[in-house]
Amino acid sequence: MIHLYIFEHLQNAYLSLRATRLRTLLTTLGVAIGVASITTILALSGGVTKVVLSQVNALGGNMTVVRPGVVSRNLDNFANPTIEQTYTTSTITEQDIATIQSIPHVASVAPLMILSNTLHSNVDNKHVPSTVVATTPDLAVTSELPIQSGQFLDPTLNRDSAVIGSQLSINLFGTAQSIGQTFTLRNQTFTVIGVLKYINNPINYNAVDFDNAAIISLESGKAFHQGIAQIQQIDIRADSTAALPGVMKSISNALTKNHQGEKDFTVLSGKDISQPTSRFFLAITSVMTVIAAIALFVGGIGIMNIMLVGVAERTREIGLRKSVGASSGNIAWQFLTEALILSLVGGVIGYLGGYFIAFAVSTMLPFNPIITWQIAAISLSMAVGVGVIFGLYPAIRAARKDPIESLRQYH
Amino acid sequence: MSASTLPPVIELRGLTKQYGIGEAEHRALDEVDLTIEKGEFVTIMGPSGCGKTTLLNILGLLDRSNDGEYLLDGNSVESLSHRRHARIRSEQIGIVFQSFNLINRLNVIENVALPLTYKGMFRTKRLKMASEILNSFHLSEREYYMPWQLSGGQMQRVAIARALVNHPSIILADEPTGNLDSKSSHIIMEELSDLHKRGNTIIMVTHNPNLTTYASRVIHMLDGKIASDTKVAIEQVNEIKNIPLGLHTNKKPISRSAKKRQKKAAKK
Repeated sequence: MIHLYIFEHLQNAYLSLRATRLRTLLTTLGVAIGVASITTILALSGGVTKVVLSQVNALGGNMTVVRPGVVSRNLDNFANPTIEQTYTTSTITEQDIATIQSIPHVASVAPLMILSNTLHSNVDNKHVPSTVVATTPDLAVTSELPIQSGQFLDPTLNRDSAVIGSQLSINLFGTAQSIGQTFTLRNQTFTVIGVLKYINNPINYNAVDFDNAAIISLESGKAFHQGIAQIQQIDIRADSTAALPGVMKSISNALTKNHQGEKDFTVLSGKDISQPTSRFFLAITSVMTVIAAIALFVGGIGIMNIMLVGVAERTREIGLRKSVGASSGNIAWQFLTEALILSLVGGVIGYLGGYFIAFAVSTMLPFNPIITWQIAAISLSMAVGVGVIFGLYPAIRAARKDPIESLRQYH
Repeated sequence: MSASTLPPVIELRGLTKQYGIGEAEHRALDEVDLTIEKGEFVTIMGPSGCGKTTLLNILGLLDRSNDGEYLLDGNSVESLSHRRHARIRSEQIGIVFQSFNLINRLNVIENVALPLTYKGMFRTKRLKMASEILNSFHLSEREYYMPWQLSGGQMQRVAIARALVNHPSIILADEPTGNLDSKSSHIIMEELSDLHKRGNTIIMVTHNPNLTTYASRVIHMLDGKIASDTKVAIEQVNEIKNIPLGLHTNKKPISRSAKKRQKKAAKK
């Protein structure tokens, strides 16, 4: 008997929604915009996470990362999103690198000191803005950077050697074959000794686009900073996956001791590495999620508004239906079904529209949105939730109407 | 009549309905006792505010009394839940309104089929039953018209068809001709009269004294009480019951055409 009523309510809802097409369309649009924003955000942020996560997985399960500061997931991050560790003094010191290197089961350690600078090419006197990474030779091992030609940094080499990304090589010298060429950075000349393979991995846990970066030795980097290493991250590989938890614990203990008991760093592994890749991105995502939630809320208010209008308009119909045998429950379900159809149709349109936006935006971004059933489920259940929450009150109001009073309207 | 062996369709004992309390108390119904047998055509007359519409609403379970007892088909229904009341309205009561109350979004046949929805009947079956009943009202060719494409008289006939579609024990009509011209009123009263002759129990509230000629019983109400209760010459209900509706479309009011009909019956 229930399924019979459902069919009946669906038909009723279809007829009454068809009778007020424009109103229905506008209400649906309200929900659709909210759902579309949520879908877009989920698809894109899922895309980023997936990219980084797949890299971390590709490196094997023996990877851990130490970052300065404590990653907190509270609202302070969102209120002050642009302040990144790059611009503040790092809490990680060179001493920490040495400490980590001495921990058993640590296979390789690579600190990352990231500088943003303009490089001057010796060819055509070009000026190319680029990311400069000061690090140790171990980076090639920890991050598995492939060399296309030449070689990676080596402790035996001249301090003024550099390895550059293939795209940067093209930008600077017009060719990917640039070994032996020189460029200047803050009036200091560097010689290219190696070019990386084109890896097209602009988003990664190192937060460096290696295709567009120049890699110099840590000593050279320190020279730009009055001899102090400004380390944004330390990449560490344990000698086996099984040893990783122990290594992480030892690192944590050793560094806490180094820092006089102050735990002003974070040791991350696996999925955690990928999440706070960019706080800015995290903050943007959070703010957009809030905006999307507000949009959805406004859409819900639209539904409630239009349903209340519908209930008022159809007061007589409610009275009549009751007088021919409809129970209050029947009436409530009739109006709730209508609200649910509005929200669900809005949800489907919003879901499709959201992916349309996500794919349109992703043509300008270095990653693709992800399509998973979870996103569909979240989007549609959000829509249905909005329908239920905002449709319930009008439905109850309709159900509570007194048949005699209702039939007396507009006599 | 065989009806006497069954419990009366409606039995009211000391039914009281009051609005307001204390100083503002107003008794719309004041201890009304009333028994209506199956097959009666009762008209309730009286000035405005005498409580006749209140009585009809309580009979239709749209309203509740404050005191007294209401037996429908021998069962006490006053104290039942809203849900049970809705069930009884769906199965035992058909209501005809002054203002027709057809749903404009639905066409004629869907309007007529509406009460069957709440009996949990499938759509195809509903429409089939609605079609049958419309056929008996000579409205077959109007099945897919929308309510606003019909005349007032036709709309009320559709409304009567809707009241009948679930084969109710009683048909309640609140001023069914109040919004109609005299010609349409006449047609509607003929329809009700036919229904009565086929054994239906009809309770009609009206202001128009001319319409009482169709009834088998006339009740006058005053200040919430029954002032007079007159039974008009009892019709030969059972004999006429089986004659198809079509034969009666152009007939005169009952009392004058009684002889004619008896002749027709004799011929057969």
